Amino acid sequence: MQDLKLKANENRGLHQLEAGFDLLGWDEVTQGSVLPSFEGDATGIAGLKAEERDYSHHNSYTATVASWRVKKPVFNIDVCIDCQNCWVWCPDSSILSRDKQMLGIDYDHCKGCEVCVEVCPTNPKSLLMFSEQEDLETALSQWPEKKKKEKK
Amino acid sequence: MAVKYDLNEREVWDGNFAASQALRQAQVDVVVAYPITPSTPIVENYGSYVANGYIDGEFVMVESEHAAMSGCIGASASGGRVSTATSSQGFALMAEVLYQASGMRLPIVLNVVNRALASPLNVRGDHADMYLGRDSGWIQMGAFNAQEAYDLALCAFKIAENHDVRLPVMVHQDGFITSHTAQNVYPLTDEAAYNFVGDIVPVDDMLDFSRPVTYGAQTEEDWHFEHKAKQHKALMDSRPIIDEVYAEFEKLTGRKYNRVESYDMEDAEVVIVGLGTTVETARVAAKELREEKGIKAGVVAIRCFRPFPFDQVRDALEGAKAVAVTDRSSPGGAMGAFYNEVAAALYTTESRPLVTNFIYGLGGRDFSIEEAKRIFIEQKAHADAGHITTDIQQFSGLRGPHLGYFQTKRG
Amino acid sequence: MAITSIKNLKEFSTNNDRFEGAHTLCPGCAHSMIVRELMNCTDDNLVISANTGCLEVSTAVYPFTSWDTSWIHIGFENAATAVTGSEVMHKVRKKKGTLKDNDAPVKFVAFGGDGSTFDIGFQWLSGAMERGHDFTYICLDNENYANTGGQRSSATPIGATTSTAQAGTHSYGKKEKKKDIVSIMAAHGSPYVAQLSPNKWKMMAKGFQKALETEGPCFINTVSPCCTEWKFDPKDTIAITDLATDSLIFPMYEIIDGHELNILYRPKNILKVEDYLGAQGRYKHLFKPEYKHIIEKIQSDIDADWARLQRREEARV
Repeated sequence: MQDLKLKANENRGLHQLEAGFDLLGWDEVTQGSVLPSFEGDATGIAGLKAEERDYSHHNSYTATVASWRVKKPVFNIDVCIDCQNCWVWCPDSSILSRDKQMLGIDYDHCKGCEVCVEVCPTNPKSLLMFSEQEDLETALSQWPEKKKKEKK
Repeated sequence: MAVKYDLNEREVWDGNFAASQALRQAQVDVVVAYPITPSTPIVENYGSYVANGYIDGEFVMVESEHAAMSGCIGASASGGRVSTATSSQGFALMAEVLYQASGMRLPIVLNVVNRALASPLNVRGDHADMYLGRDSGWIQMGAFNAQEAYDLALCAFKIAENHDVRLPVMVHQDGFITSHTAQNVYPLTDEAAYNFVGDIVPVDDMLDFSRPVTYGAQTEEDWHFEHKAKQHKALMDSRPIIDEVYAEFEKLTGRKYNRVESYDMEDAEVVIVGLGTTVETARVAAKELREEKGIKAGVVAIRCFRPFPFDQVRDALEGAKAVAVTDRSSPGGAMGAFYNEVAAALYTTESRPLVTNFIYGLGGRDFSIEEAKRIFIEQKAHADAGHITTDIQQFSGLRGPHLGYFQTKRG
Repeated sequence: MAITSIKNLKEFSTNNDRFEGAHTLCPGCAHSMIVRELMNCTDDNLVISANTGCLEVSTAVYPFTSWDTSWIHIGFENAATAVTGSEVMHKVRKKKGTLKDNDAPVKFVAFGGDGSTFDIGFQWLSGAMERGHDFTYICLDNENYANTGGQRSSATPIGATTSTAQAGTHSYGKKEKKKDIVSIMAAHGSPYVAQLSPNKWKMMAKGFQKALETEGPCFINTVSPCCTEWKFDPKDTIAITDLATDSLIFPMYEIIDGHELNILYRPKNILKVEDYLGAQGRYKHLFKPEYKHIIEKIQSDIDADWARLQRREEARV
């Protein structure tokens, strides 16, 4: 998952959403408080993947809400069946799916709500919550075994 | 292509018809409107121009004035030419959205046919609605007759859509006295009028999908102040552009407009400062008094109420001895707002003329030449005495005992 | 064709998001699930408007925007009017040929919460529906004024406690029945009206596509569970919608041309409403013995509404 190089990563993490932008003077703010989403020509933007887009620094894609999180979802690619449940229900556009495959979590935008873990249908789950401080290797090494179906 | 509309060199139009013809000649793309007396004919006429092919536009009748201005905002942010009209209660219902239009820097032209605000309900002309708009961030221009309602509506598009302005503009005319009184109007040809206004060149166009934009962002204490300051500067900076547009219009028509109009002011000692149709009445009174009594009377009229021409008001009035500022709006427990603004400007002059305030003409009460003369004569008494000899604020043309407030501490 | 049928979730996931992260909606909020799905189910250009509410204050906080399309917010009440103003201008400029790309398809969508849809913006919505503009209005129904801290709206159901319809020693919370917004919108003669839920993502996507493709004013009410004000764990947002659709407190159906009603989802096992109510803190007080009759009332209302929907579907009127 770390292989996915997002173009806007260069800008990422610079701007904490709560901490705000560089605070500009009245002569520098945009006219009418209008915000352009992209730099340059954005025709056909729906056909472009995030890493192919020229986001403007006003696009929240370039911002992060990582500090909201106390727990983080960790993704285990070995268990995942690429069902995309996590993708469709993620409220923070934080499931990195490309070409029908789940690649990982966008930790700049994930708020740790745990919905992805809840909707994951695999056994064991392919997404589990860990402490924000836990490193990924340790988390993966603690992955549970397949659970036997409980008798009803 | 729009069907050709036949015009005579001289037409007999009332103010509403004149304004609607300006909308037709500017080929306004979208009018979103809700009817209210006395402004209704402006949008009715636009609708009939659309219905008969004189305009390639759309007329949208919505369910309230609030929706009318909301629709204008959506349409204007989508890059075309937009206008509507309203009065009084409709203006009040629109008030929330007026601030949004100016905050988003959208070049909407609103024809306001001035009318009193209830309660009690009243359909006649006073300036209560115009005053309600005075902090809304719009440019506000006043027409004193039908010709001016037409001329200024054309100028309004050109000012609003100028990329160095990008602010909405209100063109005011007095309810009934201007809006429903047929007068001679000399229109431009359709070609000349459209060429004067020009094509609109969109800014931050929501329908330009090569550059998606977000309108109406939330700004809290860390950003709001800067945005409002920038907007104020845009209003202040619109002054020379308004002057340029007026000058260009004069070249085309010979009709000259100024943000502050002065009449018989070369040697005037006593002055009435007014807005709207009052100006023409006061001008007649001034002329007659000069002939009858030798009183050096003059009139100063504010053409451009916002941005307020603080410096030009001062220049126009600093040679006067006594100045009566007339407010055609219920002051609601203060001096008239217009008085306060003129007095503040005059306070910064060396001469500091004596300034009094008249509340008059509310709810369409007629302002007569005799009343204007009485006000001039009172000013002459102040001038001769060297101080204000009456209450500083007085109600004029009111039945019942004298109503006035505050006395001078000067002299 | 910019709107293509979505066969399965894998295929759907190849669509690129046009609603970006780092908005400030609460973790687990269903609003963004619904908005993402709307924006992902078409490639067409979109002009989107939003009424004031959680969605609006969380997605356009200066200097950031989470919208990759044209977007406008004016006030609490007028998103329908704002977007239809744009729709009218589009019509004029297309005719005059002054658009940057005159042939590109554009869809016009307005979002509002239940407060702005059922209450303060009701007149603006009704006006826009009556005028017949080509647009889709989507209500994100979380059954309260969540943005201002959980006050009752006319979408709040009987028995829920809110900060302005409080449950207490002498009160079981809101006393009045939820306004039937779907029927009201259908009564406008709208060509397509539906009630949908994000747990049934495919039905919701299909409904969205149908609304976008249908010419004229379309209305969709979506259930948008609010973990903050309904008081449940954010991870359970989808589980709550499962309980909502399977207890039939939130039936999924569409009404075409104001009369042709189709039920979109029939649960195999219809759950008791207690299961739904019991999963949320806002109904906790109803489980006291003295309020048992309120739960019974809610259940009997659901049963009656479900019977009514089925009769309407059968009768085709």
